[in-house]
Amino acid sequence: MVVPLNTWVLISSFKLAYNLLRRPDGTFNRHLAEFLDRKVPANLNPVDGVFSFDVLIDRATGLLCRIYRPATPEEPEPNIVELEKPVVGDVVPVIIFFHGGSFAHSSANSAIYDTLCRRLVGICKAVVVSVNYRRAPENRYPCAYDDGWTAFKWVNSRSWLQSRKDSKVHIYLAGDSSGGNIAHHVAARAVESGIDVLGNILLNPMFGGQERTESEKRLDGKYFVTLRDRDWYWRAFLPEGENRDHPACNPFGPNGRSLEGIKFPKSLVVVAGLDLIQDWQLAYVKGLRKAGKEVKLLYMEQATIGFYLLPNNNHFHTVMDEISEFVSSDC
Amino acid sequence: MVLYDSATLGGSCSGSSSSSSSSKPPPLQQRQQTQQDIDGLLAGAGYRVRSSELRKVAQRLERLETAMVNSPADLSQLASDTIHYNPSDLASWVDSLLSEFIQPPNCPSAFIMDAETNQTVVSDAWTTAEPHMPQVHQNISYEQQSLNNQLTVDNQLTVVTAMEEDSGIRLVHMLMTCAECVQRGDFSLATSCLEDMQGLLTRVNTVCGIGKVAGHFIDALSRRIFQGIGGGSINGGSAYENEILYHHFYEACPYLKFAHFTANQAILEAFDGHDCVHVVDFNLMHGLQWPALIQALALRPGGPPLLRLTGIGPPSPDGRDSLREIGLRLAELARSVNVRFAFRGVAASRLEDVKPWMLQVNPKESVAVNSIMQLHRLLGSDLNRNSPIETVLSWIRSLNPKIMTVVEQEANHNQPGFLDRFTEALHYYSTMFDSLEACTVQTNKALAEIYIQREIANVVSCEGSARVERHEPLSKWRTRLSGAGFRPLHLGSNAYKQASMLLTLFSAEGYSVEENDGCLTL
Repeated sequence: MVVPLNTWVLISSFKLAYNLLRRPDGTFNRHLAEFLDRKVPANLNPVDGVFSFDVLIDRATGLLCRIYRPATPEEPEPNIVELEKPVVGDVVPVIIFFHGGSFAHSSANSAIYDTLCRRLVGICKAVVVSVNYRRAPENRYPCAYDDGWTAFKWVNSRSWLQSRKDSKVHIYLAGDSSGGNIAHHVAARAVESGIDVLGNILLNPMFGGQERTESEKRLDGKYFVTLRDRDWYWRAFLPEGENRDHPACNPFGPNGRSLEGIKFPKSLVVVAGLDLIQDWQLAYVKGLRKAGKEVKLLYMEQATIGFYLLPNNNHFHTVMDEISEFVSSDC
Repeated sequence: MVLYDSATLGGSCSGSSSSSSSSKPPPLQQRQQTQQDIDGLLAGAGYRVRSSELRKVAQRLERLETAMVNSPADLSQLASDTIHYNPSDLASWVDSLLSEFIQPPNCPSAFIMDAETNQTVVSDAWTTAEPHMPQVHQNISYEQQSLNNQLTVDNQLTVVTAMEEDSGIRLVHMLMTCAECVQRGDFSLATSCLEDMQGLLTRVNTVCGIGKVAGHFIDALSRRIFQGIGGGSINGGSAYENEILYHHFYEACPYLKFAHFTANQAILEAFDGHDCVHVVDFNLMHGLQWPALIQALALRPGGPPLLRLTGIGPPSPDGRDSLREIGLRLAELARSVNVRFAFRGVAASRLEDVKPWMLQVNPKESVAVNSIMQLHRLLGSDLNRNSPIETVLSWIRSLNPKIMTVVEQEANHNQPGFLDRFTEALHYYSTMFDSLEACTVQTNKALAEIYIQREIANVVSCEGSARVERHEPLSKWRTRLSGAGFRPLHLGSNAYKQASMLLTLFSAEGYSVEENDGCLTL
């Protein structure tokens, strides 16, 4: 099994750094985490046709998000006045993105996620809103979901994000790892509140359960991830005393809830064949199908976690093409 | 704010950045040029690794993992006590961690490296609640791919506002229009703009947000249009007034506290092991930075050194010697904690008037030069003489200081074009005011705002020698200081952690410290 050298170096260095940050007693070395995380500022100067700026959505919780917009030919150098200029187009997709990090790591301004979001703007001709949700263990369930919901409502109420066709905001939810998990739960809340979500894009979404699945046993420690670290992150995120069959972790498990009869959006779920939690991700897909929800599964057999962070492998390009098609099919 | 530290040069660049959301000011940064050999994809992820070294770094990562797994005791120490530096330089980061482990002379039997497939077998030695400790086989290996993916990174301008009111947006539009007229020299149109804006101001909330900062910019523009670029009276505030305003600014928000604190850390470390030390403060003010350093030196293991402090400041007009007064108070404090202390004041209206002999530096002592927001004032170029910044940097270098700490605003307010400068300043100071609002410290912020307002007025309404607020971004200072013979010293995770913790003390919601290539940014 082979990954490109630079990918290996990147993911391995994350892995080792993260080992230093998780303490056996369940606390987290946040200072060192923030020190080590490579971040980038927002940039009003378009780079490859995309510019970005940060917005405070909720002062009470300090909820920030970073907005990425395509630069238009008429206004190649946006100005302070132009930031919230209405989007131009009959249909402009707005992707609300939740970064990964197993609920504990990374931020909206982490370099790897800034890069990914910029790419999404390009391939989907979308506005991307990356949410800097509160992280575990300092902020357990349901903080991340609440922040996701706050961001969702904010996006939905921006007149400048409305598509001309129907004066509505065309929202997609996307995320990788824990971000994928958040996207699912925010989607559920949205549709329950009667707001449409056009689609969910889940990249290696983080799900789990009490049971030890076959993939977990087989792949434990083989491809950058161990079961022990997965357990640690769930313990850090879930309410104290809860186990991994909590619906946040296992939405179609014993404590889960069927989505039958709910207008849940279509989903694009990407599963890496070398990800030890794939059995849970596949169970998620199965749960969606059982409830009659439209879902496309992309099973990338030879992919490891984080394959979508660097554009140096075929899985990357395949997935980006699929995402582009998934978002553009609503016109 | 960016803190930049070095062996012979400690540079702390500080100041709010012009990037932020309404309450979080992340820094205005400039990435360094990517060298040819650097892996472009990793650079995009924030790491600088030479393509030619990738394999070596990978091997060391494997070795590090083995070491971490085999000695959990060392691991927890590594996690808590080790100071990490400059994580972007992945190779040296990995090496520094590796050096923390005591390497056994032979490979432990649990470790087998299969050179062919790079397959590593490691034993999982962590202790957890689970009794079962599996042997895990790491199958993953890597192959080299050469990819040329250069990222071009240019100057970054970051801006944020959240403007909901139409009037607010119109106000900004008009400010830009007015500034553009000024740049073109169309003063009659600019004047009518001004009148419209004054009118609009009455319909906008001027207590906070865009209304507040717009008011200051309108004032500054009007000053420029009607009084010309000599600066008006805003810079003529007495030294005494300036000190009061500075003190309020110090109290109302974390920037100066962060700067003082981090600079002191760096100075303390630089003075480690030295018995005769001399700090040169380019702008003494009320000496707010020094009590903490004196106390820290007092508590130094091995005892305090002999500390000399030379404070530079403007001459006092009315017969008072304010420098000396501050010096006396600091001496009093030093005496109370048993630190041998000597103070000397150097009165000068301008930094470029100071000559190194006035500082009376003793060749045997270790010198720290500390400049808080003073160097940018030297950037005005006078064609008749040597550029003052070069002169001053050169004599600082000639003092051969152990460390130089520099604090500057992280902003781009020295561009030649007026409109560019105006735009930048509008972004930057909007954020500054926002960040001030975010501080929950119970002080009267009005005087702190006047402090900021004066800066705005100087940036917008002055030119030539009257314009002293010539802020430049970190990257320019890095280049300039390197060119003057100073070497950067990286601030590590310990400084980072303490700075972060300090922020929570100031109830500074939305502020955060970031690490950037050895510098700390607020």
